This record gives sequence, C-alpha cells and structure tokens, in this order.
Amino acid sequence: MTTLTAARRRPRRSAEHRVSPLLLALVLVPLAVEAFWVFWPALQGFYLSLTKWDGISPPEQIGLGNYREMLGDGTFHLALRNTAIWLVLFGGLSAVGGLGAALLLQRERRGVGFYRAALFLPVVFSLVATSLIWQGMYQPSGMINKFLGAVGLAGWQHAWLADPSTALYAVIVPALWRQIGYVMVLYLAGLKGIDPALYEAARVDGASWWQQFTRITLPQLKSVNSVVLSVIVIDSLRSFDVAWALTRGGPYHSSELLSTYMYSTAFQSLRLGYGAALAVAIFVLAFGVIVTYLVRAFRESDA
Amino acid sequence: MGNEDLTRRSFLAGLGAVGAAAALGGCATSATPKSADQKSGAVTIQSNLSSPQAKTAMEALTAAFNKRGGAQSSLNTVAAETFRTQLPTYLTSATPPDIYTWYAGSVALTYADKGLLLDVSDVWQGMGGYSDALRKLSGDGKGKQIFLPTNYYWWGVFYRKSNFAKWGVRPPTSWAEFVTLAQTLKGKGVAPIGLGAGGNTPWVASAWFDYLNIRINGAQYHRDLLAGHKRFDDPQVHKVFEQWKTVLPYFDPQGTAIPFQDATTSLLQGRTGMMLIGTFFADAAPKDVLDDIDFFQFPVIDPAVPVAEEAPTDGFFASARSSHVAGAKEFLTYMATPEAQEIYIKSSSGTVLPANPAAKDAGTPLVAKGKEMLSKAADLTQFFNRDSSDALQPTADTALIKFLQQPNQVDSILTDWQKAAEKVWSA
Amino acid sequence: MTATDARTSTAAAPTRPAPAAPTRRSRRGHPLRTGLYHLGAGGLSVLWLLPIALVVVTSFRSFDDISANGMGSLPHSFTLGNFADAWTDGGEMHAMINSLVVTIPTVLLSLALAAMAAFALSRYRLPLRRTILLVMLAGNLLPPQILLVPVAKLSEVLGVFDTLPALIAVQVGFGLGFYTFVLYGFMRAIPNEIQQAAVVDGANVVQVFLRVILPLTRPALAALGALAFTWVFNDLLWSITVLRTGSKMPVTAALIGLQGLYVSQWNLIAAGSVIAAIPTVAVFLRFQRHFIAGLTLGAVK
Repeated sequence: MTTLTAARRRPRRSAEHRVSPLLLALVLVPLAVEAFWVFWPALQGFYLSLTKWDGISPPEQIGLGNYREMLGDGTFHLALRNTAIWLVLFGGLSAVGGLGAALLLQRERRGVGFYRAALFLPVVFSLVATSLIWQGMYQPSGMINKFLGAVGLAGWQHAWLADPSTALYAVIVPALWRQIGYVMVLYLAGLKGIDPALYEAARVDGASWWQQFTRITLPQLKSVNSVVLSVIVIDSLRSFDVAWALTRGGPYHSSELLSTYMYSTAFQSLRLGYGAALAVAIFVLAFGVIVTYLVRAFRESDA
Repeated sequence: MGNEDLTRRSFLAGLGAVGAAAALGGCATSATPKSADQKSGAVTIQSNLSSPQAKTAMEALTAAFNKRGGAQSSLNTVAAETFRTQLPTYLTSATPPDIYTWYAGSVALTYADKGLLLDVSDVWQGMGGYSDALRKLSGDGKGKQIFLPTNYYWWGVFYRKSNFAKWGVRPPTSWAEFVTLAQTLKGKGVAPIGLGAGGNTPWVASAWFDYLNIRINGAQYHRDLLAGHKRFDDPQVHKVFEQWKTVLPYFDPQGTAIPFQDATTSLLQGRTGMMLIGTFFADAAPKDVLDDIDFFQFPVIDPAVPVAEEAPTDGFFASARSSHVAGAKEFLTYMATPEAQEIYIKSSSGTVLPANPAAKDAGTPLVAKGKEMLSKAADLTQFFNRDSSDALQPTADTALIKFLQQPNQVDSILTDWQKAAEKVWSA
Repeated sequence: MTATDARTSTAAAPTRPAPAAPTRRSRRGHPLRTGLYHLGAGGLSVLWLLPIALVVVTSFRSFDDISANGMGSLPHSFTLGNFADAWTDGGEMHAMINSLVVTIPTVLLSLALAAMAAFALSRYRLPLRRTILLVMLAGNLLPPQILLVPVAKLSEVLGVFDTLPALIAVQVGFGLGFYTFVLYGFMRAIPNEIQQAAVVDGANVVQVFLRVILPLTRPALAALGALAFTWVFNDLLWSITVLRTGSKMPVTAALIGLQGLYVSQWNLIAAGSVIAAIPTVAVFLRFQRHFIAGLTLGAVK
C-alpha cells in the first residue's frame, strides 16, 4: 500500500518512535475482537461464494462458477445499474442535504434544538412503522396523490411503488428522509471543530458568505468529508432495509439493488453460494470506491 | 504511484485468504453433529404465530398440555418472517428446538428429504379417524409420517352479502356467469375483482394462478409443474394466462398497488365487488361485518377436469435432532386430539377447520359452507409456495405482477419465469 | 502528523461559545431574516415530522377503524389502549429491557475499544497504521447478511448462542471498524503541539490518551455515541441471528412480531414504535448538547 511506499521513502520518520507494547495492545485488542467476529466469518463468506449451497446440505465446490453466472445474469446487471443510480442520487443528495441542514442549524438560537431533533427523528424511528406509513402515502389513494390532486397536478398521480418506472425513485425518498439527519449530525460535529477565528479573519478581509464557505468551511471539513463519503458508500451499497421494507426489489426487479438481490438470492431462493458471491461483489465495489478516495487523501496529507 | 503494487499485493493476499477460508470453511457450513443424548426438561415449541391473537391461542394450548401433568412444554414465539429465514438454521443446529409450527406439503418435504425431521409414524397410529388425504399429505412419500396437521382453511371468492343485494347481483355458478357478474358490477362503477397483490403481499396473486391452473389443467398437472416436472413456458400454462386475460379488465386497477389488508378494506367498503382470498382475511375485518361476509367457489371452467380446491393445512413437525423425542411425540399426540384443536379454534379467530374429524369447528354458516366445499372436492392443493417451496414463490411474484401490469408480454414473462425457476430447482 | 496547519493551531478562543455565523448582522436578528429562517427551518421540520405524525395518529386508532376505513383515512376513533396492549400483550416491556441491556454495554464497549485503536493509529507512527485502519474499515464494507450464517454457527460452537452477551460481542465486533475510522479522522486533526506539551510535562501514553486526546474528541464521541446507540438499539439482523428465544429478543424483534402471518395489527405496531423511539430520542437530546457545544479548539482538519 502507499503507506508502505511512503514509509520506505522516508525511513527517517518511521524511525522516530519506538513502538511500545502498550500502543500495540491499544490497536491489537480491538483488532482481535473485530477479527474474531467479522473477519473470520467473512472469510467463511468468501469461501461460500465458491460453492453451491442451500443452507442445509453440505456445500458443493464449484470454483468461480458463481462469478461466471453473475456475468450473464440480467437481474444482477439491473441491480448494478440501480445501485449506481442509488449511489449518485441517494449518496449525493444526502451529503448535500446533510451539509445544508448542518449549516442551517449549526448556530444556537431559539428553536434550533427542535429543528435538529425533527430532522434526526427519522433516524431513530422504527423502520416497521415508518415504512408502513410511506407505503400508505404512496398508495394510489394515498396522501401524495391527494396532495397532487389538490394542487391541480392530478396528471402526475401515480401508483408510485407499484409502477416499475417510479418504484426505485419512490424508495430513494424515504431513504433520504432517514439519512439526512444522520449526515447532519456528522457535519454538525465537524463544523463545531472549525476555529471561529478563521471566520473572523475572513470577515475582516471582507469575504462574502460564499467565499467563507468555499475557502474555509469546505477545506476545514475535509476529514469529516471522508467519513461522510465512507458512510454514504457503505450505506448505498449495503442499504437494504428501506428498499426491502417498501418493495422487496419489485415490481419485477425494477427497484432491485445489489443488496436486496443478494438477500433474496441467499434467503428466499436459498442459493447461499450465489448470494455470497453477490456479497463479495458488493464488498469489492465499496472497497474500491473508498480505498481510491482514502489512498488519495492519505497521499495528500503526506505531501 | 504504488497502484500496481497495491493490486498485486491485494490479489495475492486475497488468494491466501481464500485458501485459508477453504480449509476452514467447513466450520460455517457443516451441520453440527447430532447430539444423541436425551435430556429431561421441557419440550420447546418454536412458533411463528406471533400476532397477539394467535399467540394467545398457542399459549392456551401449551398451558392445557402442561396441565395434563405429563411432559412439559415451553412456547417460544418469533415473528413469522424471522422464523421463515431462520428455520434452516434451527433445524441444523446442535441444540434445535423440538417442535415447529409449519405447513403441510412440499414445503415440509424439503426438510424431510434432508433427514432433518423426526419420524412421527407412531403418533399417527393413534389417529385412525384422520382422512386418508391428510395422512398422505403428512407423509414423506417413502412410508414415514413427518407432519402432524392440526387445522386447515379454504380459499374462495369472498363478497359482502349486503353489497351484492344492493347491486342486485347473485353469486355465479359457472365461469360464464362469473364473467357476466363482473361485467354487471363494472357497469355499476364498482371495480369487480379486488386483488391486494401490492406492498408486501404480492403472493396473493398466486391464488389466481393456482386456481386457474387446477381448473384448466388439473391438480396433478399443477403439482408436477411446481415440482419442476413441467415447464412454465408450456402451452398448457399459456392457456391459463389466456383465460386470465379474459377477466383482467375487471380487476381492480389498484390491485398491484395495495396490500391485501387494504384490499380487504376496499372490499368491505364496496369499492371492489369480490376477492379471491383465504379465510384468514376475516382477521382483518371489523367484528361487526363478519356476519355479512359470504363466499362462492372459484367457478368451474372445464367440467371435464376434476374439481380441486386449495386447502392449506397447518400443523407441526419435530426436529430429527430433538433431545426430547418422547416428550415431543407426547406433545404431538395431544395436538392431534379434538380437545387440543378445539382449544386452538376457540382462542383463534375461528375461520379454520380442525384436522381431526371428531373435533368441533366454530359452527358458523360460513365455516359449514367452507367445510362442505372441501369435502366435495376431488383433490386438494395447498397453495403455490406450500406445493413447491418458499424459494419458488418470489419467481411467481415477479412473473404474475408483471403479467397483471403488462399482459401482452406473457411470452417473455413465462420464459423468464422458467429460467428463474430452474435456478431455484437446481439450487 | 500533518495537523500542524498554521491556521488551526491558533488555540485562540478556548471557551468561545457558538462560532461563526456568516455575518454579525444576521446574528443580531434582522427581523425579516429571522422570520425567513424560522419559516424555512420550521417548514422543513414539519415536512420531516409528517410521516412520524401519521404514525402517532395511527397509534391512537382502533383496529376496527383502520380495517373499516383504511390506513389513509381520517381517524374515526381514539383510544389509548394500543399503548397498553403493545406494552403488555405485545411483550414490549420485556423487550425494551433486553434492548437496553444489550445497547448500553455495546455502545460503551465499542466506543472505548474504537477510541483506543483510533488513538494509537492516529497519534503515533505505528507501522502499517493506515493498512490496519483500512482493514478495520473493510470489515464494515461487507454486507452483514452474508455473515449471518457463519456468526450463528460461531456463537453456537462457543456455546454462547441464544445469550445476550453473544449479541453484545457480535455488535461490538461489527461496529468497531467504522467507529475507529470515524474517531481516527477526528483525532488525527488534533494539533500535535498540544500532545507534545503534555509529553514535555511528563505525561505517559495513557495520560495523553485520557487527559488530552479524549476530552478533545468529545463532540465526535458524543455524536458517534448517539448514532451508535440508535443503530444498536434499532438492530434487528444480529438479534434474530444470535438469539432464538422470544423472551430474549429486543424491542425491534418484538415489533416485527406484531406483524402477523397474514394480518398485521398496524395500530399496535404504531403504538409500539412510538414507545420504542423514546430511548433513542432521549439519548439524542441528551447528547446533542455535547456535540453541538463549542469545542475548545479548532480541531477538525
């Protein structure tokens, strides 16, 4: 990895500190816990992706057969495309929305606690109940269509979740509704870390609001941004619960995501081997996006 | 850059990891060895009847069993969806629960074929009064009994008597009359046929497929098709969809957009005229309208085909790895008695029929009518997923919902269905 | 470390309250701007709260009302009985205790372990530190569903299957990578001078961690604590994987249980959800003071 290369190039710096056993323990104990409960089962998951398994009988080794099937699997391609749409729309809008909400609500003033709590409430509210309500709102005679009818847009009325052309987007809206408060909290914590003196200096220089935002706020939020990016990639690729609760990937795969397809393959069709291979594909995609970003961020901070 | 470095390294690392995992993989996948020792203690009943009413009925049942003073039981209720996904894990674990609520038919045989279910043939020896149909349904096809039925229910085309009277229509006795009825209702501004295959209940649409198939091609063809002995793109299956197309204009346009619980509300409010549904839907109706509900048999299409009906059967099976075999059999024996089945029916909503012919049902006219319809049937089927597997159900949901929305694509729909089903059958 | 950016090391305003709104004018309550602000933020809040308000409305309706008139109709009934039914018949009281018994230790343990790892990785030049960080994060990139079967078997082999400690252990293990990654980001940005000053004063590693770095990471810890509490409390996947006994299940599983095989008691589920949201909302309100409160130092880079 680049770390290694960097360390090799600058042997001076790595020799600066001796590694104390205490420090090693601080890292290794958590690492061991994670290794035991996550890496070990994950290795078994990787192994499963090379088998055909129904969850009951002994798994049958089939080498890369599952991955080969993936190449020709139309539903997989559809799920991949939908996941890309999801990543862009859900990811992009939740980052922008979360940052916007944090900027709007960062300053202590009358009522701000209520506003923050309002945006955060969907994050904590049980999915069972909220998905029911969203289903109800999306129904042909539901609140959304009634509202459209009332404002003279009856032509836009739709069976939102049942129509394959709108189902995916109809699922993204409640997913955003649940995600924005979460991203807002991360950004609020980040914004609080920015030294106020920077803004004061900028104001003395006569910087506009926009200049302050682009020259101070955004650069200062860099490390929060990498957290948010990771959160978004992880949640987009793994996000499952809202889509599953609302449409289960239907109607006829139109809102299928990689995560819902993986789940239905593994636990409904009982093809756990192929499901594991899909999970590995999700992992590779998420890891690829995040590592590309982080390695670049690391390199910049080393420069 | 280090990029090439990165990929090569990760590739090698990945290779190593896969090798290690392959060596150790058995750990995750092998069924834990059977613990043969028989323990004392309560028989554990794993139940998926988690709704408050059904749970109360199960509690009453286990309490009655425990009061007898023999073996003791302890009830453990988990949500139905949780139960379904975890059942393979339960059954292959080293310390499985002893008894499980489940369904008769192919959906239980999958587990019997893997040797995971307890042979309960000796329990059946004391069950002389049970019908041969139920006995056969509860066998593994190789001479062993693996299931114990406790109750069953029926499907029919349900309607509100007061609404039919208001519209001046009567239940049909043939397919032609059924179509005329639908036309009449449509003329009165009512959506004739409610469905409720939206939301999380797309499986409701399978009832239409099941009934059309058993009316046109017969129950045996239906079972063969679901077992993979016939193909979904078979011309005979095409006939089912051609027939379906003729009544498709009378389906509620919201049919694939609302779940069946809301479709029930539409039916009760008179927005739809009738609905093909199982008796469980009565649980979703307010108590004061129950007396106003009636049904008619799904109309006969081809009189040459012996009339079969859907009669999903519920009951219990036991784990082959149970550590309380004697207690488990004692529990099952009790569950087969009229006393136990009456307790359950009394505490549940009362629209199910007891499996034991000696047990009394709820006795309402509706239940009597349902019982009579089933007793006259030449053959009984269970339901799409019960006659095949829970794994095949999503393929049906995909195909049928697409057909309901885009009936003209039936050719490609059936080809895709066959492909998806083959993946499940070969899994 | 590279956080020694000249701009951030100003350490100028130690206990300054809330920072940095765009301009002084707007802070002094230009009435029109204040009005617009409340209109915007208030409107947004109302929109955000609308679905939840509908859940609350549903929780006061009777089952017969919902089944006769539909979910979407105006309520024709009012009852408080759903809350009592969900609490007792639905077994929510017991489930709520289970949830808290699992959630509180999980959050404390995983934040403690993650803070340790993040501290060592971010503040010291350990070999392979970024690789370790990426590996820990990678553990969170795998869809959890694929770990279900192996984790269930693993806990069975260990003899802890169907126990709450097993659930805590799994949850800690699964949260660690991400929490470490987040805390690493925040800790890395703390200026080196502060740490060096402490070292000059004779502080050892443990003292640097407990007295210098942890207090400076408080906003991030509070934000992460609130989020972690929410996730663990609302988790369903791991609980149904590691647990089998209904009476050990947390509140999420109990709520799912109110969904029957065919017919669901939506009024009970709504009431149960309202009750189940109370702990997480309370934690958020309690913690938001900390992650909103002004930080003593410009810390995040």
